[in-house]
Amino acid sequence: MIPPQPGQQTLLAGVFLIAACYGAGALSSLLARWSGRLALTVGHLAALAGAVTGLGVSLDVLLGDPGSTLTVPLPNFFPFARLSLAVDGLSAYFLFVTSLVAVAATIYGPAYLQAHSPHARPARQAAQVLALNVFLGCMAFVCCAGDAMTFLLCWEGMTLASYVLVVSDDRDGENARAGLLYMVMAHGGTALLLVAFLALTERAGAFDFAALRAAAAGLDGSTRTTLFFLALVGFATKAGVVPLHVWLPRAHPAAPSHVSALMSGVMLKIPIYGMLRFGFDLLAPVAGPLPSSWGWTVLVAGTISAVLGVLYALQQHDLKRLLAFHSVENIGIILIGVGLAMLLWRTGGAGEMLATLALTAALLHTLNHAAFKGLLFLGAGSVLCRTHVRNIEELGGLARRMPWTAGLFLLGAVAISALPPLNGFVSEWLTFQALLGGASRFHGPGGLAIVFSAAMLALTGGLAAACFVKAFGVTFLGRPRTSHAEHATEAPASMIVGMAWLGLACVALGVAPGYAMRLLDAPTAGLLHAPGASAVVTAHGPLVLSVGLTAAGQSATSISMTMLAALLVALAAIAWILRRGSRGTAPQTAPTWTCGMIPTSRFDYTATAFAKPLRLVFAALYRPRREVIRETAATPYVLRRIRYTGEIVDLSETQIYHRVEQGISRLSRTIRVRSTGHIYGYIAFVLGTLFVALLLFGVRRG
Amino acid sequence: MSGERSFALVLLEMTLLVLFGPLVTGTIQKLKARLQSRQGAGFLQPYRDLAKLFRKSTVQADTASGLFRAIPVLVLAATVTAGALVPVVRAGTPSVPIGDALMLLGLLALARFLTAVGALDAGGAFGGMGASREMTIAPLVEPVLMMVVFSTALVAGTTELGALAAHRGTSWIFAWHAADFLGVTAMLVLLPAETGRIPVDNPDTHLELTMLHEGMLLEHSGPGLGCMLLASHTRQIVTLGFVSALFFPIAVNDAGADGSLVGAGAGGFVLGLAAFAVKILVLAIYLALVESSYAKLRLFRVPQYLAIGFVCALTALALRIL
Repeated sequence: MIPPQPGQQTLLAGVFLIAACYGAGALSSLLARWSGRLALTVGHLAALAGAVTGLGVSLDVLLGDPGSTLTVPLPNFFPFARLSLAVDGLSAYFLFVTSLVAVAATIYGPAYLQAHSPHARPARQAAQVLALNVFLGCMAFVCCAGDAMTFLLCWEGMTLASYVLVVSDDRDGENARAGLLYMVMAHGGTALLLVAFLALTERAGAFDFAALRAAAAGLDGSTRTTLFFLALVGFATKAGVVPLHVWLPRAHPAAPSHVSALMSGVMLKIPIYGMLRFGFDLLAPVAGPLPSSWGWTVLVAGTISAVLGVLYALQQHDLKRLLAFHSVENIGIILIGVGLAMLLWRTGGAGEMLATLALTAALLHTLNHAAFKGLLFLGAGSVLCRTHVRNIEELGGLARRMPWTAGLFLLGAVAISALPPLNGFVSEWLTFQALLGGASRFHGPGGLAIVFSAAMLALTGGLAAACFVKAFGVTFLGRPRTSHAEHATEAPASMIVGMAWLGLACVALGVAPGYAMRLLDAPTAGLLHAPGASAVVTAHGPLVLSVGLTAAGQSATSISMTMLAALLVALAAIAWILRRGSRGTAPQTAPTWTCGMIPTSRFDYTATAFAKPLRLVFAALYRPRREVIRETAATPYVLRRIRYTGEIVDLSETQIYHRVEQGISRLSRTIRVRSTGHIYGYIAFVLGTLFVALLLFGVRRG
Repeated sequence: MSGERSFALVLLEMTLLVLFGPLVTGTIQKLKARLQSRQGAGFLQPYRDLAKLFRKSTVQADTASGLFRAIPVLVLAATVTAGALVPVVRAGTPSVPIGDALMLLGLLALARFLTAVGALDAGGAFGGMGASREMTIAPLVEPVLMMVVFSTALVAGTTELGALAAHRGTSWIFAWHAADFLGVTAMLVLLPAETGRIPVDNPDTHLELTMLHEGMLLEHSGPGLGCMLLASHTRQIVTLGFVSALFFPIAVNDAGADGSLVGAGAGGFVLGLAAFAVKILVLAIYLALVESSYAKLRLFRVPQYLAIGFVCALTALALRIL
């Protein structure tokens, strides 16, 4: 049936090996009968093997022949659908992103779980090992799915496994509530996806993507757009796009930290894969550009997510929650690139090149975000397992106690703030260039909207820097504010190795991003049927990134991150000599100047105080609530105690979700009046509904 | 790869910016003093201050981490690297590409990020206050600077500063559009904010009511403080050079358009340098005038002030695109 393809044997072996590793890892949870610790170690090692194999398989495909799709049929489980895997450049790229973070997370995991909850029952450890392996396996295979059935099964497995991990950490009510919200939102999204897929499979009469693609070719414009928006909302729910993000800042921090790293770094990218697969592949018209409503929606949603994500992150004091809000921001940045690529694709002239540039920026940011967000979550996990405190107001002074963790967290902070010479800057630079090129092609309001989006991206970068000065400074610098922080010690070596792996990725992708373009060739060229990433971005060799914004491309902009890094290092060496001074003596130490009072940790700036000016500048968005209770002695001038409470509301929660909730409550109250409690009444309702439905259906068909 | 500016020239220009950075500060201080009917310190006072600081020994806060000592080094390196991206004596793309206008803004942001991190390290309220305020103003300034860059880059089709300067042409002010005038206005509004001057910040004091940048330097001492001050002098001249490359590439461009002029000999080099000095002087006079004629704004008035720049930049962009 399927012609034998070169490389299919290796791929088959690789895929089998990945499945075997994750399967073995999942089975190793049975070892918890004897020792929970053994199950943890073996399960994570098996997952590590799976992740390394995933890296190998994806690199093999990415560096191989671009544009080809390798298909692997799976054994028949269902009589009505033949399951298969199809690996093309895009699949392999997302498998690569997944595996990169999975390597770090699995190295980090066992020591973290031991240190964080040393008295966990074996049953919980078994559940965590099982869920982690299922989670990783499903994420790997959802990208490689060759048909709708496999896709949806793996998608659901991913959701369920991550739910187990979210509620596994502690048995307090907050985690359970976070898990419930996550389940509701994720399944709402899945329902929409299911509708989109079923509408296609009904037309195609088969489940595999090739048949869906063929069926979609005959769709009329409005059906095509409706299906795209169904899928888009379904994917956006899972990706945490504003205003569908409310579950994300609750669920991600609740999971164990290495799982948070996987959820934020990788799981949020799977919907991006889905959007690209639907938008550019399955639902794309046979010829001509995509409907402009698609691109504009994605672009605007991305811009709003980016700005609101970082603004809410700024006001968070829970380290992991802050990072989760930054994921909302970064998904927004990725979507800006995706939306722009959708707008520019097949528009002719320089549009082809610019679409590749925009998609390259989006995909590179996907990889970069996986690296630095994974690193930051692992860093937060190290802090958490040593202090058992997530509120940064109770930390401080950790840089002296946990120097490796502090250094690696700072690296991640610089990267996520889009500062040179690290990787965050590279992908944002490419996004800026794509936006600028897009703006020069769209005259009129469209161009202005694109430039405005670029300005918002700049605002996002600046605010992210402010947020990470706060997060890093308050957590790691100054004096410890509580005894939890004071008695912290450095994290175990394996946790540092896990972080260092991702730190290395951040530096490598920042200093030599040209080499990563080789990995992006297959996904960009395969998806857009246009010149690949390296033809557009690294035309002048791998050390120079260059883009041309006009059709002729004569006045291209070139930057070299490698040169820049070399210059920075050389100048830092010179400055170091200058810094030593002519005396060359060791510095004296003295207490910090606090206007003559004895310095205590109360003098350190708190996160609330740090973010206050921005809270006031953006008060219209935050609607801050603030309450100060003063207890005074006999006169109002002598304060005995002062109590401050402040709160920020999430606008989408108050403006959308609370209203929906009120509407539902009102509706159910109305229905309750009609409910008589007699079974005949309900049967009458059901029959009536059925009758009306049949009537409507009959009228439409008739 | 072809380019009009050799790598040696780029390095030379960078060195010149570092060397003359303190002189610009000295000039502004002297001008301010004269405008306020004071005698003032000499033009060379910043050099004397630096020399003094580099001879001193260091006193460091006992709560500071190991990172604290590296901060001045990294800040200075990032700022000076930004200097390598500014065309000084001639326009055109560098033969060895390093970075563009976005990279320059990124490097300055990196220096600011590290300065703010260092300010929190000592664990005093002053450093935290300075860092908090600086990181409040910076995200509001950066998008507007970016928009000004975009408003010129949209026409030139590049964000490389040398190429932007070359594109603007020799007859600079006669070829200006309305968008350019608005862009310059936005830039002039932002300039005091980006160089840390009245009405946004006050470089002469680190009292808690005014301090932004100076508050962050409070715990640095000796050569470390010297590095930080040298970095802020360099940052100032880099920002001024950035503005002049975007809008007034006069003489630079004469040299760039006709490669032989500068490529050949010292004449063009001196001409370019003199033109650059004049441009920087004009901007320095502007800064001194603004500083002498306005009062420091309340911190929460600053966003409104910056909004003027934002509106100008947005209008400039709208004029370019619509």
